[in-house]
Amino acid sequence: MGNGDHSTTSQTKDRTHSDRQPGRLATVAFIWLLVTVLAEITVAAIEWQPFAASREATISDDAFNLLMVLATPVFTFVIVVGGYALLRDRHRGDDADGPPIRTSRAFIATWLVVTTVLSVVVIITPGFTGLDELRAEPEADLVIDVRAERWSWAYRYADSGVETQGNLMLPINRRVLFRISSTDVIHSFWIPAFRIKKDAVPGQITTTMVTPRKLGSFDNQEEMRVQCAELCGVGHARMFTGVTVVEQDEFDAWLAAAGG
Amino acid sequence: MTTTETLPMEHTTSRLQINRIGLWLFFFSETMLFAGILVTRFTLLGTEVHEEVSQTIGLIITAILLASSYTAFRAEHAAHRGDREETTRYLSMTLGLGAVFVAGVAFEWAEAFSAFPPGTEFGTVFFTMTGIHAFHVITGLIFLALLWNNSRQGRYDADAWPVEAGVKYWHFVDVVWVFFYPALYLL
Amino acid sequence: MTIVRGVVAGAVGYVLGAALIMAIRAASGAAAWEVESVTAGAWLFALTGWLLGVGVWRYWARPWFGRPADTYTTTGWRRYFDFDTDHKVIGVQYLITFLTMFFMAGLFAMLMRYELMGVGEDILNSDQYNSIMSLHGTMMVFVAVAATVGAFGNYVLPIMIGADDMAYPKLNALSFWLVPPVLVALTASFLLGGYDTGWTGYAPLSVKNDVGGLFFNLAFFSLGLSSIVGALNIIVTVITMRARGMTWFRLPIFVWSIFVTAILSLIFTQFVGLAMLLVILDRTAGTVFFDPASGGQPLLYQNVFWFYSHPAVYIMILPAFGITLEMVSHFSRKPLFAYRWAVGGLLGIMGMSSVVWAHHMFTSGMAEALRKPFLASTELISIPTGFIFLSALGTLWLGRIRYTVPMLFALGVLFNFLIGGLTGVFLADVPVDIQLQDTYFVVAHFHYVILGGGIFALFGAIYYWFPKMTGRMMNNRLGKVHFWWMMVGFNATFLPMFILGLQGMNRRIADYTPGLESANRAVSMGGFFLGTSFVIFLANFIWSWVKGPPAPDNPWGARTLEWQIPSPPPHENFEIPPIVLADPYGYGEPGSVHADLGGNGRSESLEEGVQA
Ligand code: HEA
Ligand code: HEA
Ligand code: CUA
Ligand SMILES: [Cu+2]
Repeated sequence: MGNGDHSTTSQTKDRTHSDRQPGRLATVAFIWLLVTVLAEITVAAIEWQPFAASREATISDDAFNLLMVLATPVFTFVIVVGGYALLRDRHRGDDADGPPIRTSRAFIATWLVVTTVLSVVVIITPGFTGLDELRAEPEADLVIDVRAERWSWAYRYADSGVETQGNLMLPINRRVLFRISSTDVIHSFWIPAFRIKKDAVPGQITTTMVTPRKLGSFDNQEEMRVQCAELCGVGHARMFTGVTVVEQDEFDAWLAAAGG
Repeated sequence: MTTTETLPMEHTTSRLQINRIGLWLFFFSETMLFAGILVTRFTLLGTEVHEEVSQTIGLIITAILLASSYTAFRAEHAAHRGDREETTRYLSMTLGLGAVFVAGVAFEWAEAFSAFPPGTEFGTVFFTMTGIHAFHVITGLIFLALLWNNSRQGRYDADAWPVEAGVKYWHFVDVVWVFFYPALYLL
Repeated sequence: MTIVRGVVAGAVGYVLGAALIMAIRAASGAAAWEVESVTAGAWLFALTGWLLGVGVWRYWARPWFGRPADTYTTTGWRRYFDFDTDHKVIGVQYLITFLTMFFMAGLFAMLMRYELMGVGEDILNSDQYNSIMSLHGTMMVFVAVAATVGAFGNYVLPIMIGADDMAYPKLNALSFWLVPPVLVALTASFLLGGYDTGWTGYAPLSVKNDVGGLFFNLAFFSLGLSSIVGALNIIVTVITMRARGMTWFRLPIFVWSIFVTAILSLIFTQFVGLAMLLVILDRTAGTVFFDPASGGQPLLYQNVFWFYSHPAVYIMILPAFGITLEMVSHFSRKPLFAYRWAVGGLLGIMGMSSVVWAHHMFTSGMAEALRKPFLASTELISIPTGFIFLSALGTLWLGRIRYTVPMLFALGVLFNFLIGGLTGVFLADVPVDIQLQDTYFVVAHFHYVILGGGIFALFGAIYYWFPKMTGRMMNNRLGKVHFWWMMVGFNATFLPMFILGLQGMNRRIADYTPGLESANRAVSMGGFFLGTSFVIFLANFIWSWVKGPPAPDNPWGARTLEWQIPSPPPHENFEIPPIVLADPYGYGEPGSVHADLGGNGRSESLEEGVQA
């Protein structure tokens, strides 16, 4: 960069910038590569997400991790290039101005191409591909009507007509369709461990699907909870109940006992 | 670094031009408000119109408002010519027509209150749209009244800008109605 | 005096308005008294009365009734409390008002962080927490939307383009005097028990809450009026008041940023006004916009609100970009790199800002088919935003960088906004956003962009233009201490919030599950550390204003016009209108001169420059 058209000024007392260019560029590129590799290793080593217990969770977490991989070089690029200039190009005593570089075709063109390509990549994957994956299995094995009300959740298992409140029971590896509604204000049906969330809007039925992939309950995993995620008044913070995922036969027994 | 090829972009814009640009920008901004209201209306009601709206009143008040735009236009024209008497006369006609329009809306409101009160879907839209528009008409009438009085007293003989501004505003409010009328009565 | 007049006239207006509404109610057969409708109507009249009282009547409206306007005779410090039309006075009025609001909202944040230190409700119950959180968010958003534009858009923009004032000085004063009622409404809402909807005020919750909520709507509405009027003034000023030779591509980048911001404001603020109005109508006039039982649609509110509020985030950040690039060029002593691309970036952001709003609604139950287009448009807005970084990096490269306090803040903006912007890219990705929507990840994201970007830039601007505004220097060492303290405190507070969000902590809660406690404690500690950094700022700010050493005309050696005139500038800014010869970034270009100030005789190299 900086090799655009500019006249070197006689005022500049120290070496003109042009003789330093190639060396600088190589140094910066090297540092950037190094930092990026280190950063990518660190990023990969960190476990960003909490307990993941559903098919949807994998999709969401994979998307997040891929974005991390893509965002890291952008971050390190700005930090390394900026940081290098900040350290090396400090004002040192003399009152001279910097070289009057106003533009650099090569740098601008590269920037434009790289950011555009990156944006498009991000849109396609994990964006569109993730969304398609989320919608890939539209057939439900089990339908549950969720009713939100200030400040509690009520469930109705559509096939058996069983109605419950409090803890939400689900069988493992079955595709569940939630039909969500609200009787007063907007709430949001969120299960952190499943990475699903959908608002409960009065006057509307919204839907979301999930396939639980792990057994567990609120007692051993905090993320196994139905949490209200839309401010709904005083009780908002406390508007959560546990989620329990069990084997199919256990689920059937529970359903029968609950009066199905 | 260059001087000679500089095109002198002098700040010679006259007060009148400055005022005109400002007025148009104001209309532009207000257009956003009315566009938002129209979008709201179509979101809630689709293309449906309540059959109980009074087509007669709607037609009459629309005609009156359009007529008032014409008299306002004549008033502005006269003001630019410096014809004080004609300005005053046309302003008073505009005022009168505007007042009739407001009366018409008030009359229709009284009817509508029982047919489709604000607590119904159509009533919500109807009262909001006519109400916001009527608010603009009333502010316009206040301007026009001031203009009329000042014009009568000869305060605009030298400078027609106030009349121009008031009249442009009046036109703007009328144009808004041209969009609101079909959205409320026809479709 | 002015304020007393305003208050009295406002009170009279209030009573008149209340009487009128009660009369109308009685006439239509309803009970005359009903808090909300009477209050809403009375507010409108009180606002009008207040404006007339503070000066609109005396200095402006009297001629409409055939009487001479009062001549304005206030001098000295009293001008800051009066209906003064000098853009420099108005700029200072804006700055002080919004700084006050910022510190109030900041103290609310301290309360919130104290409450969130541990599991359970400690000092605030859920109700109080919600009110304080809502007020914190609302006030901060108001600060972010209006402080920089109001203070520096008014103070320095006209000087930078070589004008003697704004295009409409009276309208300018009006837009400022619309702000105190905003503060009054917010205070009133607080005293009446607050409102619990957050700054987004989603219906139908906002239709159902107590009277406090009504004042939130009224406050937002009034601020909207002020923004629109102010924006209109700025646009006309930039279009018509530029000095000779000040072509579009010679404008300082700060002027561009404010100009584009004003356009956004002029277009979109109408929509938040509309959103507030519809809620007010539902509350007071019995309409059913958001009541599904009668055919209303709750999501309608969100669409109208975000149609404003997404562009509003660019209203918050574009001035910060302008300030940052301005500092980076002047303190790297290099021309602003890729100037036209930076302008293009600002315009690109403006162009795209109206087509991304639904990324706030991915989980809201909106049509699923709309997710892809909004995902795509949101990701694409990174491209024009990137131009700002392109320009900044290119300018720093090979510069002669001076680490002044404003420069440090500008660099802080670049660092913080980079993190904030990149995390925005994560949120725009629907599969990720489904999990992170309404968690602390979002809270961290927007504090990084608004506080780390917008507010850091605001403080940079204060350090930068303080000598011009007051004629005194701020203490440099304290400034540096403040910067590093704030920078460290900021990152210590908000970086862990990303983790909190990922771990499943949702927003707007006074209490959380036990697993989140340790991270919350760390965040709170960081928050208090950050909060105390402002004590240093305040001490420096107040002390320097009163006792600081006199400032030279151009302490930074910068080239834009405001530095070529005395500190503080004389009333008419320039002795004779300047003639602009080139853009203000000609660092290192031999003989380059930004402008000829004629009689002031301040630019020595002028003769050579004109010949070149
Ligand atoms: C100053 C304010 C500001 C700014 C500038 C931004 C900028 C952006 N924001 Fe943010 N946002 C907010 C303020 C802001 N935001 C607020 C207040 C909320 C919450 C509101 C509430 O609910 O209360 C919010 C919420 C929010 C959400 C909704 C989250 C949710 O509730 O579920 C989303 C989702 O898409 C989002 C995305 C973005 C994106 C993509 C940008 C982009 O503009 C960022 C672009 C910048 C960069 C990407 C970095 C620089 C670019 C480069 C170095 C080039 C190369 C990079 C690439 C090619 C990727 N924001
Ligand atoms: C300009 C924007 C801005 C700024 C600057 C800030 C500044 C801060 N914010 Fe805020 N914040 C918002 C905009 C902003 N915020 C918005 C829009 C929301 C969303 C609200 C909603 O959900 O509706 C929000 C929400 C929000 C939350 C989430 C609340 C929730 O969802 O439950 C939290 C939590 O920690 C928080 C913390 C802080 C802190 C610690 C600061 C600190 O930076 C504050 C530091 C400042 C001071 C402390 C004041 C000055 C200091 C003194 C006068 C000296 C005295 C000092 C001491 C006593 C220590 N903010
Ligand atoms: Cu229900 Cu929050
Ligand atoms: Cu947004």
